[in-house]
Amino acid sequence: MSTEVVTPRLRSTAKRAAFWVVGAVVVVTIAVITLATTGGAQDRAPLDPQNAAPAGAMAVAEVLRQQGVEVIATSSLTETRDAIDSPSTTTLFLFDPGLYLTDEQLEDAVGLADTVIVAEPDFGQLQAIAPGVAQAGVVDGPLEADCELGAVERAGVVSGESQGYRVIDDDAAALTCLGSGDGVYSLVGLEDDGRQLFVLGATAPLTNELAIADGNAAFALGLLGSRETLVWYLPSFADVESTESLAELTPGWVTPLVVLLALVFVAAAIWRGRRLGPLVVEALPVVVRSNETMLGRARLYEKSSARLRALDALRVGTVQRLAALCGLPSTATVDDVVGAVSSLTGAQPHEVRRVLVDADPGSDRELVELSDALLTLERGVADRLRP
Amino acid sequence: MAISGWFVLLVLAGAVPLVITGDGAVLAWWLLGALALGLVDLALAGSPRRLDVQRDVPGRVRLGESAAATLLITNRGRRTVRGIARDAWPPSAGATPTRHRVTVPAGERRSYSTVLTPFRRGERRASAVTVRSFGPLRLWARQATLLAPASLLVLPPFNSRKHLPSRLARLRELDGATSVMVRGQGTEFDSLRDYVRGDDVRSIDWRATARRNDPTSPSGRRLVVRTWRPERDRRVVIVIDSGRTSAARIDDEPRIDTAFESALLLAALASGAGDRVDVVIFDRRVRGRVQGATGAELLSRMVSTMAPVEPELIDMDWSAVPGLVRSVTAHHALVVLATTADAPGASRGLLSVLPQLTRKHTVLVSSVTDATVLDATRSRTDRDEVYRAAAAERALLDQARVAAAVRQLGADVVTGAPADLPPALADRYIALKAAGRL
Repeated sequence: MSTEVVTPRLRSTAKRAAFWVVGAVVVVTIAVITLATTGGAQDRAPLDPQNAAPAGAMAVAEVLRQQGVEVIATSSLTETRDAIDSPSTTTLFLFDPGLYLTDEQLEDAVGLADTVIVAEPDFGQLQAIAPGVAQAGVVDGPLEADCELGAVERAGVVSGESQGYRVIDDDAAALTCLGSGDGVYSLVGLEDDGRQLFVLGATAPLTNELAIADGNAAFALGLLGSRETLVWYLPSFADVESTESLAELTPGWVTPLVVLLALVFVAAAIWRGRRLGPLVVEALPVVVRSNETMLGRARLYEKSSARLRALDALRVGTVQRLAALCGLPSTATVDDVVGAVSSLTGAQPHEVRRVLVDADPGSDRELVELSDALLTLERGVADRLRP
Repeated sequence: MAISGWFVLLVLAGAVPLVITGDGAVLAWWLLGALALGLVDLALAGSPRRLDVQRDVPGRVRLGESAAATLLITNRGRRTVRGIARDAWPPSAGATPTRHRVTVPAGERRSYSTVLTPFRRGERRASAVTVRSFGPLRLWARQATLLAPASLLVLPPFNSRKHLPSRLARLRELDGATSVMVRGQGTEFDSLRDYVRGDDVRSIDWRATARRNDPTSPSGRRLVVRTWRPERDRRVVIVIDSGRTSAARIDDEPRIDTAFESALLLAALASGAGDRVDVVIFDRRVRGRVQGATGAELLSRMVSTMAPVEPELIDMDWSAVPGLVRSVTAHHALVVLATTADAPGASRGLLSVLPQLTRKHTVLVSSVTDATVLDATRSRTDRDEVYRAAAAERALLDQARVAAAVRQLGADVVTGAPADLPPALADRYIALKAAGRL
């Protein structure tokens, strides 16, 4: 007779797992093929000329192309420099919400074309390119055309939420448009020896979502399509300069060592994780504490502040014990007990009666005091009876 | 299959040539080498599947005592099996050690001993034996789990047997075997014998004295006394409640365990006194029954019957108890109900059937009381404790009411803390026997 072995053989384990392994391989293959053919998920930035989402600016860019404007989308300073052939016939649109550009790079970029539109610059960017202009908060609602700039005049009304700017340098020759009162404007044009720099706060008209509202389309097309070429520059990670990569600094064995440590980790996990046989089931007994009902009743008394009821329970116990101590029969009334106790201890009968019967505790403090009084009474009687 | 810590170290050691040479290819060769070594080791390991495992387990052990279980491993394979064997028992079997270093050469048998010190009553079933067999390099191992069923019955401890000698001595005093005579109404007349100093003068039989003429004594008279012996061959029926209330623990001991202790002591005493003892463990069905056994066999059968019984979380069916007692004996008997009688609501079932039982039998209700309740009535230092004391007084009052109701219905009540109840019940039995109420 041989002992039965419950551990399955490798072959039967493999057979049972085969279906799932094949299934997993098929799923992974399909996933890889799908990813390879369709490409990764589109994650485009706002105001991107290739972004068809509501926050993108594909509509404006495409219409500009149809109107004969050459729209070139760039994502790094080098690309932008290459894309601009003649600064005089080029409009540079710059939008850097991610703050990829340093101040020097920003100044370089602004100097690349004669007409430059900087969308929604923040404080630091304004300091670098237009120190005479300051941020003035968010402006909401339609803005009326109020300056002689062609694009704005044709638009009439520009809607959507925009960033407001204020000209703080009074000497600057600044063209201020789309005012919302109190010296706040959403488009500020600065002229510097023939080169125009626009600080554009009203970016909503450029988006796919709001381009068709009010005069937004006219504003966007007029502003961006004033030259033959439009370079649409959205700075990216490629602009971040780095001198030397981490890989060049580390010795050649570090990567294999990391791989080795990962393998050691896996091996150690298998070493410690392999159990020496199945777990043994232990049938645990029920644990019920016998005084649970007593404690539960105590908590109920306490929660509902049933002071008199609690005190009466204590009193019944005390009266019974006192009756037994005084040698009274079990049929004796409380008055008998009061009489016997007061004559034994010399206490006033009405006081004994108050503790044993009459007092109604109004607070927990009185309850504790009365309970102590009961104990004192019992102790007094016991002391008297002790020879 | 399993790997050892040595294999993990071997893989980790690959870092040394890697750092020295700074070449990733060296590491690849190292890993391949380690893998090859592991595979060779695995191939050379003795097969644990070709082992025969047998267990030699003592059938029964008293709770609190130790027993040695032997594991016999026979190697039917062609290679020596070296490695670890796990002798798997449930935790409450208290097995030490659970892992044995085994070396079983081909075709031979080795034995390994595991000491079992169970800490809970009941049946403990051994689980399988798992053997991990390492190769000669101790890098990789083959592992198999082998079935070797065995079970150990853990008996109730019968700690109260220490009270037995003194109670048996008291029984002998009743018996007339010693010189001290005890007179009782229900004891049977045994014999007449000469008076010796120390005998109760009330037991002098004057008629027999008058009839007797003794030539050796100067007056020709010698006093004659009667001796009695207690009744024998009475019936004692112990009904143990294994329902919901018996699961409650007092001093970390379930009520049912205290009931078992009491029943064992009473049975040992009663069978020593010549009475017939029957035990039924009951909740809604009969969980255990010992009938018609006497002497040493009675206790042995009782502990075996009690060992696997755990309280069920259901209410006791008291209405079936009179029928149960009737099925055990048709004659007058001492019926001991080992149950809980501490709340009027929960004891309603018991109280409703007591008249049926007391009409024919002498009934004794034995109930465990909680000493912490009595303690709680005395400590009243803060608000929480005062409320607790009130609830405890209430509980004591309930107990007293139930006991009074039981007495009113013609039965008797024995209560006590877990340690005191078995001797208290034994004393009550002796008192009843002396009074001839059996």
